[in-house]
Formats: sequence, C-alpha cells, structure tokens
Amino acid sequence: MTKRITTIFTGLARQFFRSPGSVFWTVAFPVILILIFGAIFDSGGFSSYDLYLQDLDGSDSSRDFIQKLRDTEVLNIHTVPADEDIDSFITSRSIENMLIIPAGFEKDLQSHTAGINLSLRQDGTSGTSMAVFTTINAVVQGYNLKLAGGENYILVTQHDIISEDLSYIDFFLPGIIGLMIMMIAVQSTVGYQTRFRNHGIFRKLATTPLTNAEWLIGMMLWMLVMVGISVATVMITGILVFNVTMSLDVTSLMIIIISTGLFTAIGIIISQFVKDEEVAGTAAGAVTFPMMFLAGSFFPLESMPGYLQSFAKVLPLTYVNNGLRDAMIYGNTVGALDNMLIIIVIALVVIITAVAISGWKKE
Amino acid sequence: MERNVITIRGLTKKYGNLVAVNNVDLEIRAGEVFSILGPNGAGKTTTVEILECIRKATSGEIEILGHDLMTGSKEIRRQIGVLPQEFNAFDLLTVRENIKFFAGMYDRRADVDELISLVDLEDKRDVCFKNLSGGLKQRVGIAISMVNDPRIVFLDEPTTGLDPGARREVWEVIRGLRAKGRTIILTTHYMEEAEVLSDRLAIMNNGKFIALGSPSEVIEDHGGGQICTILGGGLAAMHSLKDMGAELKDNDVMIQIRDKDDLVRIVTSLDHNDISYDEIILRRPSLEDVFLKLTGHTIEGGELID
Ligand SMILES: Nc1ncnc2c1ncn2[C@@H]1O[C@H](COP(=O)(O)OP(=O)(O)O)[C@@H](O)[C@H]1O
Ligand SMILES: [Mg+2]
Repeated sequence: MTKRITTIFTGLARQFFRSPGSVFWTVAFPVILILIFGAIFDSGGFSSYDLYLQDLDGSDSSRDFIQKLRDTEVLNIHTVPADEDIDSFITSRSIENMLIIPAGFEKDLQSHTAGINLSLRQDGTSGTSMAVFTTINAVVQGYNLKLAGGENYILVTQHDIISEDLSYIDFFLPGIIGLMIMMIAVQSTVGYQTRFRNHGIFRKLATTPLTNAEWLIGMMLWMLVMVGISVATVMITGILVFNVTMSLDVTSLMIIIISTGLFTAIGIIISQFVKDEEVAGTAAGAVTFPMMFLAGSFFPLESMPGYLQSFAKVLPLTYVNNGLRDAMIYGNTVGALDNMLIIIVIALVVIITAVAISGWKKE
Repeated sequence: MERNVITIRGLTKKYGNLVAVNNVDLEIRAGEVFSILGPNGAGKTTTVEILECIRKATSGEIEILGHDLMTGSKEIRRQIGVLPQEFNAFDLLTVRENIKFFAGMYDRRADVDELISLVDLEDKRDVCFKNLSGGLKQRVGIAISMVNDPRIVFLDEPTTGLDPGARREVWEVIRGLRAKGRTIILTTHYMEEAEVLSDRLAIMNNGKFIALGSPSEVIEDHGGGQICTILGGGLAAMHSLKDMGAELKDNDVMIQIRDKDDLVRIVTSLDHNDISYDEIILRRPSLEDVFLKLTGHTIEGGELID
C-alpha cells in the first residue's frame, strides 16, 4: 500500500517539475501577486471604514460627538457597550479600529479645565488605520477650534492593538496563502482527474490492485507538498522583501492541511461534471476566480458592499483567510479555532460529497 | 493438452435498452492469441472490460484462471495485464519511468529493462512519452500491460490509427509475447491483423459472435469456395456470367466457385462470347469476404460500410 502511494507521489512530483507552467503558478505567481498588491495597497485607500466605539460617558455631548463622526460619511460606526472588556473584545473580533470616549467627557468639555484624552486603538497592519485616524482627527480639530480658538484641547492618542510594527503586507500575506491553497488544489485536481481519465490512465489503474483511496491519498500528499512549496515561497518573499514577521503555528498548519483537502474535494466534484480537460480548467477558474476576489484575499471584507459581505459568508475561502489571519497575525487563537471549525465542517460535507459521486472504478 | 484460461457462459451486457453484448459463450485456451474482430460499436471493448473486472456484466457466468469473476476479481487482477483502448501513458514521464510507475502498482513485478527490450525500445528509454510516435507509444502501452508478468494480456485495439509499418512492428511485439507463453486477447477492426496474428478469432457484430474458430476454419465455414476474379472483364463479362452470381467491382468481375466445373464454365463462357480481359486470378476467400457474406457490409476505418 505505501509502495503504491509513494509511486503515485513521485510520479506526480516528477511531472510537476517538468512542467514550467505548474512551477510558475505555484512559485512565481504568488511572488508577483505579493509584489504588485503589496505596492498598491500598502498606501491604503478605501471609501468607508469600520470604527468600533465605546462611549464611557453616555452623555448628550458624547452622543453629539459620535454624530459628528457619523456625518463625515467615511466612518461606519459600531457602538460597543460600556461594560465590555476592551482587550478581549478586540482580540476575539479581530477589531482594527477602536475609539474610546472616556468618562467625564461632557463635564471636562463644559468646564474647560482638564484636557480630554480620546484613546484610539488601531491595528497597524490594516490599510485603514491612517485614514481612520485622519478622519477622527479632523472632527476633533473642529471641536478644538470652536472651543478654544485652535488650542489642542481634545487630544486623540493612538495605541497599536498589536505591539509589533506591522504593515498592510502582513494582513495580505495570509490572504495569498489561502488563495494559493485554493488555486493549487482546485486547478491541479481538476487537471489530474480529467487528463488521466481522458488518457485511459484511470481505466488502466482500475485493472491494477490500486484502490481509489490509495490514489486519493497519494494525490493529496503531493498536493500538500505543492501547497507547502507555495506557502514557503510566500513567506520567504514576505520576509526578504517586506521584512515581515509571521508565525506558522499548529493552528495555521492545521488550517492549511484541512483546506487543501477541502479544495481538492471541490476539484474532484468539478471534474465529475465536466469531462473535457480544457472546459474543466475553465470551470475551475469560474469557481476560484470569484472566490479569490470575494473572500477577502486582497482587501478587508468590510470595504465591500453589504450584499457581497453576506455572500462572502458562504465561501469556504473566507474562513480560510480569516482563520489564517487570526492565527498568523492577530495571535487570536480563539478566532482561528472558530474559523477552523467552520472549515472542518465544510470540508467534511464537500469531501463526503466528492467520495460519493466520484471513483474512477465506475464506468 | 489445451487448457481453458477463460470460460464465458451466456454473457450479456445492457446499457439501458441497448444490448451491447448479447448472450455470448466463449472459451479461451492457454497460450493462444485470440482476436475479437468487429466494427466500432460491436461490443468488443465492453466484452474485454468485463473480463478485466472494470465493468459489470448484466448476466452470465465467467471464470478466469480458475476464479469466478464475481468473487475472485482481486486475484484475477493480479494475473492479468491490460492495454486499454486509446491508452496514453503520462506525457511528462519517460518510457522507463512510465513502466516503473505502473509496475509500482503490483507486488509481483517484471524486470523493467527486460520489458523495454521486449518491446524493442532500448534507445528510447529516457525519452518523454509525449515525444514518441504513435507506434512507439503503443509499444510502451504493451510493455505497461506486462509489468506484473501476467498470464493473460488484453490488448484493446493496439494498432488502431497506426500506419502500416508501425502496425507490423506492433504485430512483432505481440508475436514475441505469444512466444513467451502468454495468452493474448486482442480486439481489432483490421481483418488482416486478425487473420495473420490469431490462433483463433471471433467475428463480432451488434453484440453477437457471428463466427468463431481459427482463421482458416472461419473462412472454410463461412467463406464458401475460392474466388475467381476476372481482371479487366468489365460489364460484358459480368453479363455473360450473371447466372453464376458474378459481381462487378470497379472493372473487375468476381465469382465465387461452388464446384470444380465452375472454372471451366467461366473460361468457356468468356471464350464463347469473345470477351476480352487482362487476367484470371483464383484466390482463397479472406476474412473480409466472410464478413461481407455474414453481414452484407465491409469495414473501413473501423466503420461499417455497404
Ligand atoms: N458506458 C456506456 N454507456 C452506454 N453505452 C455504451 C457504453 N459503453 C459502450 N456503449 C455502447 O455499447 C456499444 C458497444 O460499445 P463498445 O463495447 O465500446 O464497442 P467496440 O469496442 O466494439 O467499439 C456501442 O453501441 C456503444 O455506444
Ligand atoms: Mg472499443
């Protein structure tokens, strides 16, 4: 059994390294993506940003201030109850921008005696942080002008949510890893399944002692190696070019392995419905392309219209991206495990479906 | 003593309403080359793929190498070798790597280099499969069908689409397998191939075996007497010999000889009517004549034509 699996594994590996196209898509493509998107998005620039806000004062003045922030039409304000513990709230929800209005805001505002300190906690990795800070500051400056003739009476102090010095590229890299897992697993599986079926190779293998399970295991193992090559490429590029620090912990490794299985199964399902090799490649593209843009690989889901955000909730890649970000960047283990659970459930459903409808021993 | 390696009783395969194989009985003997000859759609592939344990029969009993097909498929798989129809090995693996790959599926393996020399591909062993010509590809396929040192080898249309030269080279390889004592089951739509390669053959049409035996037996049983061809006889010869069943093909006239006197009658009639011709040829009927006689058709490029 192991002999047959290693035979399949080495056979696929040899073919991979002899096919310049495959090597390009696995290694060069993610590097190009990182360089291009890294350059474009590092400057930030979205039309609307999410701001979480905790109002510890709860006065007319603080409500008035919040309304002024809303009036900018740049900020999407979500209020957080005053009794919520901010630190755990931020980590558990992977919050990027959080503003805290201190108790006594109204009193200090009217008495003009003490300076007011608004605390803005931000995720420096997010492309949105600069814009959010600037917007809040603009509103605050308006207050200062009215109150004290231009004196900095209210102050916004910024605190990084994450202590390390991170940039947008750190947010982006896990997205590329998720994307590569999907592309490699779906495209290669569809390619193998249709090509080997049309070339009579499956028919030949069906006459040997090889079982369907052995074939799938051999193919999956090779798929994991391809994914591994791609993940390594992404990380090395990130480290060398953008000087990022990212960690591959057990959770992120698990997410990578499970999602490889999930997308392999999706590939098997596609190839079951489309028999022609070229048409199947197009079908695989039709499934992976929208997911690549709608599942938050390149930019935060919050920057998309609401209906697209709801749509993203049914895409498996969304949870892969979120899980990898939680695990690799935010250090949010709870969030990563939540996403992993969702991925496991989706993977089980898809894999069972794939096994049920496939099998190269069928006529 | 000849021993049967395959026994088939009442094999039927239906695809919905279509009866692809219709109540076939057959015995295949150890060490023989057995051909199933028929046009596209006759049911050849369906028949052999049932024997290869990759399709299920609708009904019938099959025994291969002493194992019942229903219960012994695992053991049967180990002892048979298969070249599927239109098989293409891995494009990006070399000849040697491809053979090794398929050998890796079995516990008992033949020596890879011996197989390469068996199909005469020593100088191509490190060439990628995709860079081989059609004939060489089929020879790799035959080597792959031998990787487990099988007792029975199934070759499904191994020469279809090859030019005559390449086809003859494949024939040589098949003869080599036979010399090594393998039982070979071959499907083809080339009459000549079945005639020169087979110890025995079955002619298959519409899911049925319509003739069975050694090539000479089949021809004797179904071909009738010798065929007399009057080259360049034309319409005139055809008319004068019409009552003997003469047929015109191009400018030649063909008559099947039924008894000894027929030949004398033909020559006399031509002489009497002062009909000119180039030459008179007598030949044994071929499988093509048998097929024409049994079905009213000939096969060209695998397709039935009138
Ligand atoms: N999987 C299938 N489903 C339905 N019909 C089939 C299938 N395979 C073959 N047939 C039909 O069965 C008949 C015999 O096919 P086949 O065994 O491939 O013939 P041959 O090999 O002699 O060309 C044909 O009419 C073909 O269309
Ligand atoms: Mg066929």
